[in-house]
Amino acid sequence: MKIAYKHLVKNIIANPSIDEISDRLFQLGHEHEIENDIFNMEFTPNRGDCLSINGLLRDLSVFYNVNTNQEIYNHKLNKLDIDFENLSQDICPQISFLKIEIESIPNKYKDYLNDYFKDLNLNKNNFFTDISNYVSYENGQPTHCYDADKINGKLVFQELDTEQEFETLLEKKINLIGRNNVFLSNDKVINLAGVVGGKETSCSSDTKTVLVECAFFKPEAIIGKSVKYDIQSEASYKFERFVDPECQEKTIRRFIKIVEEHTNIKDMSLITYNYKKNKVTKIPVKTNVINQIIGTNISQDEYLTYLSKLGFVVNDENIEVPSYRSDIETQNDLAEEIARVIGYDNIARNEITIPKGKISNIYDMENKLRFFLLDHGFYEVINSPFVGINTSNSICVDNPLDSNKKYLRSNLTQSLLENLLFNERRQKDSIKLFEISDIYNIKDNKINVSRKLAVIASGRAGHNYKDFSKKISKKYLDALFKESLPNEDFEFKVLSRESLNTKVKNEIISCEVDIANFSTDVLSYSEISKSPESFIEYSPISDLPYSIRDLSFSIKDFKELDTFIEYILEFKHKLLKEIYIFDYFNNEKNAEIKIGFRFIFQSADSTITEAQVNDIISVIIDHIEEIDGITIPGLT
Amino acid sequence: MSSNKDISAPKIIKERGSIHPINHLKDSIMDLLVSFGFEIIDGPEIETEEFNFDMLNIKKTHPARQMHDTFYVENKSNLLRTHTSPVQIRGMLEKRPPLAFISGGKVFRKDDDATHLPMFHQIEGILIDKNISFAHLKDLIYKIVHSLFGEDIELRFRPSYFPFTEPSAEVDILSSEGKWLEILGCGLVNPIVLENCNIDSNSYSGLAFGLGIERIAMLKHGVKDIRDFYKSNLDFLSQFK
Repeated sequence: MKIAYKHLVKNIIANPSIDEISDRLFQLGHEHEIENDIFNMEFTPNRGDCLSINGLLRDLSVFYNVNTNQEIYNHKLNKLDIDFENLSQDICPQISFLKIEIESIPNKYKDYLNDYFKDLNLNKNNFFTDISNYVSYENGQPTHCYDADKINGKLVFQELDTEQEFETLLEKKINLIGRNNVFLSNDKVINLAGVVGGKETSCSSDTKTVLVECAFFKPEAIIGKSVKYDIQSEASYKFERFVDPECQEKTIRRFIKIVEEHTNIKDMSLITYNYKKNKVTKIPVKTNVINQIIGTNISQDEYLTYLSKLGFVVNDENIEVPSYRSDIETQNDLAEEIARVIGYDNIARNEITIPKGKISNIYDMENKLRFFLLDHGFYEVINSPFVGINTSNSICVDNPLDSNKKYLRSNLTQSLLENLLFNERRQKDSIKLFEISDIYNIKDNKINVSRKLAVIASGRAGHNYKDFSKKISKKYLDALFKESLPNEDFEFKVLSRESLNTKVKNEIISCEVDIANFSTDVLSYSEISKSPESFIEYSPISDLPYSIRDLSFSIKDFKELDTFIEYILEFKHKLLKEIYIFDYFNNEKNAEIKIGFRFIFQSADSTITEAQVNDIISVIIDHIEEIDGITIPGLT
Repeated sequence: MSSNKDISAPKIIKERGSIHPINHLKDSIMDLLVSFGFEIIDGPEIETEEFNFDMLNIKKTHPARQMHDTFYVENKSNLLRTHTSPVQIRGMLEKRPPLAFISGGKVFRKDDDATHLPMFHQIEGILIDKNISFAHLKDLIYKIVHSLFGEDIELRFRPSYFPFTEPSAEVDILSSEGKWLEILGCGLVNPIVLENCNIDSNSYSGLAFGLGIERIAMLKHGVKDIRDFYKSNLDFLSQFK
């Protein structure tokens, strides 16, 4: 909600700066951003009372002398003769109707009304709707204006099941379905209560006689309606968060006052229906409890003074909660009020003693498995549980975010297979992944959970020169895993590539095992890998294709061998992503060593070109050519 | 010239994998809290409305319960937990105070953009004992935040609203660019929640806190788009060793 600094500060005697008010608002828990002297407020859902100038001023009154008493029309009003029936009084326990006829529509607005539209960059609509919007901004209570000449017959408020088309005053056509709270005239919906009025009875720039409706609707009856019909509605935002159930007549009288300040009123009359008296909440004064909750030592006088400033009616025994604070019911609620006023940051810390719990080992087994897999070059992934594939026992999501993914996965392998193909498409030639997660399905009409480890691998066994030409196979993984965990059965299997859209031919090996099936032998595994000790600053990754170059060298003079290897492996260029030795052969008979290096190039912003690669490679070659005894076979 | 018989082959570099950065951060925070004395407990990701909402004083009308915020499953018989708080409820029903629990794991909400995902991770902690106050909560939060971000980090507490805590607060840290960034929510356990768990709220009080792992991971690693964590891209994962 947007609130102009200018509109707030004109009601604060001390005339504080925008930065000072901003600090106070944060202290009180009212998060906001400031742009061009406008506070863009984000209120917590329990503070519907703050959704107006007066609401914020009431909270700021704990720090400043403020004025929240705008002029209202104080004279006696005739009783409105209206044919109205409220068939859902529980939902709408208070409602007022004002009928007002004016002599002429004003050509221009008073400064305060003009400023409201100008300062907040809002569009004007028509005279009565403009006043309705302004009054809601000023005191938080929405009103709805019907063109009185367009209402014929009995007016009914009702919560009912209905299916009919309804055109809003913003000319959006919606199909009402299910239960809705509506105003009806001649059995036709003319207003979706608390959300948006209808076009058929809305005011226009010619309207001179208006019927103003000002109601309290129970929040639970309004919640969800604007989302249901995709309507942005300030009224529903306020009703959902609770408006003051005792402010309807005052709001109507403020409305009249503003009309009166702009034009001559020919006739007006008012009727107020109070079907149910608003319950007053009283909480006993217990200053010691408040101090215990916050950890402070404030006096009773100080405590009650703060509450008085916030609008609570206090005496030595009880605290009476104002009608606009529906969120206050308990001692803890009052403690929060006091903590806000003191300032959370001003409450001193008190050293805490934590009762020692038992040292838990619920994750020991899977942590051991994790580090075992890390030691063998596997990367952990985390996948979304939402999938499109269902099995007979899959769990169905009633309201999926994507209708193509409306089931919870019943295995981890399918997700890992997608991860593997994703990385293959990015030219990865050695892929080893694993995931540990809960899996859910329906078993015997009940939701069944099991914790699984799944592993998938394909491509080269590794990038070092020993593993480079070895391909991952079932035999390879069986042997590798048995070597460290001889008593565990990972049940590796080969996945078919037949239905996969890929040209890669490498075997895909996977397994999926219940964590519960592993023996306690796993806990004895001594891991080599360690968690990183610090948090690594991430470098953004490129989705552009790699370019690969291999260079093989023949070394016959070994004195420069180490320097040569170090030079290449340490060579840096912003386009050079990776270098490793993929081949090494020491031919003792011929007194020759052959070393193959793989260079992987990638650019962050454009596809890398042959010329760019050649330029970098030629720098390396030029340097190496200067070294005696090292040649590149085939290079002339 | 030395003979190649004496030459040792280049060192074979065995490539190690990496823990997922979200799990790494989750484990680090859990380890920290365990060192403070908290006990780890666990609970299901598919929950009932009773544990996810009712027991936590989240009223039937609360917006979070709407279909547009919560994933329901199997004809609304259950839901995907929207926070890890139901685990604390299960813990409090099983054990009498004094108690100090933490739980971490996946939670689910109907969001999907550069800063929100339908699945993300949380860690929550609860401590119930005699005479626990907001001043104790502040002490604990300072210890957690200083351990995570260093002793020099500036933090502030802002009043907030959670149905299960009262008073409630959100905690911000001051970034190196001078911006306040929200990192956790906390508060004193609402006495209604204690009573729901058969704990006498006149004798005991408690504190609770919850951290979103992704948000902190984004800050600590400088990741700008939350979706990068879940693409399973080896170029991304291999950076976190």
